Amino acid sequence: MWATARRMASHRTFTSPALKFELVAQCSVRMTCTTRARASILTLPHGIVNLPIFMPVATQASLKGLTPEQLEATNCRLCLNNTYHLGLKPGQEVLDAIGGAHKLQGWNHNILTDSGGFQMVSLLKLANVTEEGVRFLSPHDGSPMLLTPEHSISLQNSIGSDIMMQLDDVIVTTCPDKVRMREAMERSVRWLDRCIAAHKKPESQNLFCIIQGGLDLDMRRECVRQMLARDTPGIAIGGLSGGEAKDDFCKVVAACTELLPDLKPRYVMGIGYPEDLVVSVALGADMFDCVWPTRTARFGNAITKHGVLNMKREIYATDFGPIEDGCGCPCCRPVDQEGAMGVTRAFVHHNAAKETVAAHLLTLHNVWYQLDLMRRAREAIIQDRFPAFVKEFFANLYPDSSKYPSWAVDALRGVGIDLLET
Amino acid sequence: MTVDNQDSGSPAMRFEILKALKDGAAARVGRLAFAGRLPIDTPNFIAITSRGAVPHITPDNAEKHLKTTGAYMALEDFIERPQQYLKRTPPIYQASTTPKHPTRLHSFTATPPSVTTILSARRLPAVPAPMGNTTNAVSVFTSTGFQSLTTTEYHSAVEALRPDIAIPLADLTHTTTTPNSKRALRMAERTDEWTVEWFSALSNSNVSTFAPVLPIPYSIQWEYISRLAEDYLPTGQLAGLALYDADVLPDLESHSPSLLPLPRLAFTNPPTPHHILRQISLGIDLFTLPFLNQISDAGLALSFTFPAPPDSKDMPGPQPLAIDLSHPTHATSLLPLSPTTTNCACYACTSHHRAYIHHLLHAREMLGWTLLQIHNHAVISSFFAGVRATIAEGGADALEQATKRFATVYEADFPEGMAERPRARGYQFKSVGGGEGKRNKPAWGKLGGNEDGNGEGKTEERGGEEEDGIVKAVEEMAVEEKEGR
Repeated sequence: MWATARRMASHRTFTSPALKFELVAQCSVRMTCTTRARASILTLPHGIVNLPIFMPVATQASLKGLTPEQLEATNCRLCLNNTYHLGLKPGQEVLDAIGGAHKLQGWNHNILTDSGGFQMVSLLKLANVTEEGVRFLSPHDGSPMLLTPEHSISLQNSIGSDIMMQLDDVIVTTCPDKVRMREAMERSVRWLDRCIAAHKKPESQNLFCIIQGGLDLDMRRECVRQMLARDTPGIAIGGLSGGEAKDDFCKVVAACTELLPDLKPRYVMGIGYPEDLVVSVALGADMFDCVWPTRTARFGNAITKHGVLNMKREIYATDFGPIEDGCGCPCCRPVDQEGAMGVTRAFVHHNAAKETVAAHLLTLHNVWYQLDLMRRAREAIIQDRFPAFVKEFFANLYPDSSKYPSWAVDALRGVGIDLLET
Repeated sequence: MTVDNQDSGSPAMRFEILKALKDGAAARVGRLAFAGRLPIDTPNFIAITSRGAVPHITPDNAEKHLKTTGAYMALEDFIERPQQYLKRTPPIYQASTTPKHPTRLHSFTATPPSVTTILSARRLPAVPAPMGNTTNAVSVFTSTGFQSLTTTEYHSAVEALRPDIAIPLADLTHTTTTPNSKRALRMAERTDEWTVEWFSALSNSNVSTFAPVLPIPYSIQWEYISRLAEDYLPTGQLAGLALYDADVLPDLESHSPSLLPLPRLAFTNPPTPHHILRQISLGIDLFTLPFLNQISDAGLALSFTFPAPPDSKDMPGPQPLAIDLSHPTHATSLLPLSPTTTNCACYACTSHHRAYIHHLLHAREMLGWTLLQIHNHAVISSFFAGVRATIAEGGADALEQATKRFATVYEADFPEGMAERPRARGYQFKSVGGGEGKRNKPAWGKLGGNEDGNGEGKTEERGGEEEDGIVKAVEEMAVEEKEGR
């Protein structure tokens, strides 16, 4: 307790107009733990967020069937909205008339928005990137449209998100074209300058840069240096989770975090598998987002510490246990506790793919699991037992240690955790 | 007629009539209470579940926000036989009970213990079965298709699940057409036989039996009804009546007055609140309202109160019974879901606004239907509270006046509701002759690339149309590209 208190007293803090970042604990400064994992407190315009954190994705200003009240009850204090989707529905005019996305969805905590660039590339096959912006066909009438850094920022200003992302030139990391990759990286830097210039509310909204450069570590390092020179309040590592090998993913994250300053939040975009989260925390990342936990819930899948369970399988038809034993979510927590529903696997099985309620229940459970995983990682970092946490996490997931994914073993060995050591 | 401490048969149930407007079949206020459940003040309604859940409402939201303390469950929602597991025992029969979930029905469906459960064989409304019923079984429609449910199977289901109220099997056609007199007679005879069988088989005294009263003239089912009155009322086995047609009540009043103190539950499918008011005046105590779930799916927010609000100059002409929130006029409206005159205090009205629901309907986000369900159940709940207060404080004249006024202030029917509906499932609907067409436009086109369901267009467009837009645009581009090369 005293040791913790002493550490708390010596927090190092970074402040910018709309953000405060306090580093609470760090593995790498201690002899017992050599990973780059960090625990910190991020203060945003809509309240405090403890890092590391997983941010569930409320694509169209709604977390897939959960009421904002239910989302709040999972202890979520920062969720995502997608600029591309909100730009189409309800549209910028409506957002301006209502007074932003917080007011639209009745969510009084923090919101992070992406730039819309990723959807241009992932959803619209015929998008074309030029120096001016992303050209695409309007899904409304097929007419050519242009998303520029200025337009993206203007939309995000209308949304009023606490954290906005710059428009970046996203190409798949596995793209073999080095010239195009360099062009994308350098263009992303130029677009950041345009985003900063277009940003109208720096006192109430934070703009994060996005590091690009594909899988080329030198290009990534160069991008980091150029982005850091622009001094944004937070830094994102982008372009990943696009089908690259996990080894490469880890190398990129590690190469970037090595160069990043301690006192700024680091956001790895688009990752959400529990293993990826835990390894990325060890590599020094703080923030993550992904639609997978909520999407897989709608397919009837529950995330548990022993892996993903498909509730549609017949074996769960007469399984009257909770979705996950020991889980504290409103579905699973013991029935004598406050707010417990007493939902069984059998009930979820009964309604999976049949009633929306089953999807809502699994969404609630999965979001809770992801947030709780990061909360426990944070506790472990603060209590100086993060390596033990990581080992326990993998032991739960893979009963047989020979099945550990080699990318995770290698990545963790690089930061001083030997998963296979007994 | 004021009957205090009415013991209507089952030791687990108590029905008190607090005030009746006249002897017999007329509006009355009462209180229906089951051991361990929250009492239900009548006239009132109970929520209809689908597969054990009020559609779109998770159990935590049901407990916190749904202003109803009863849940109707259909056995056919729980006894499907999946192709590969034809022999399996329905899982619900193996559910375990806990202090929080005192019956298998509560525990399997995670229904809070405060909620009174009603078990019947068929969903409300039921999909008509092509093969009809037999002498000892009814046809039910499960998620894996039609199957027959024998009387003995149903009895053991009731014993195992222990609902607070059980409805014995009735020989019903589930069609809107009136059965011919020959069919009607057979309905009465079979239901009579099944009821005799029911009472001799049922041993669980915690289950209260509400005997079905058939939607056929009293003259055809009088034998059956007098058996209920003479054989099962005195023994205390008959706890209430389940009416499939409220217009049988005046005949009951004249021919079997001994049945009148029993609580009356209606499976009459009233299409509007005007019909509810009429049936209340006939003496219905407890309603099931299939229109509620349908209204929410249609993107409509109920907007009436009882008694109707005083006349105001801003609101000329008949008022709508519900507001279509998919209408573009609500796109930027920060008003609560129903007009401020209704003072709705539901979670949806206090925490959200029309613009959000409009957006959610437009984006086909499931939360829209959740919030509408919460709101619509709250409006109906206040409606019944208003009816009870009018009867208790005013009496017959006041109720009649207020009902008349309600009919002039509000429109006769619900608006259509232009929003796209949630995806329909097989166990909810059955193609009748084929060729009805799809209710929703297809979510995906040929050359999508929009796997997230994201073919959306601009705000002023109605849902669905723009999806054709994107597919068309992409197809056109693809053609151009090919030609270019």
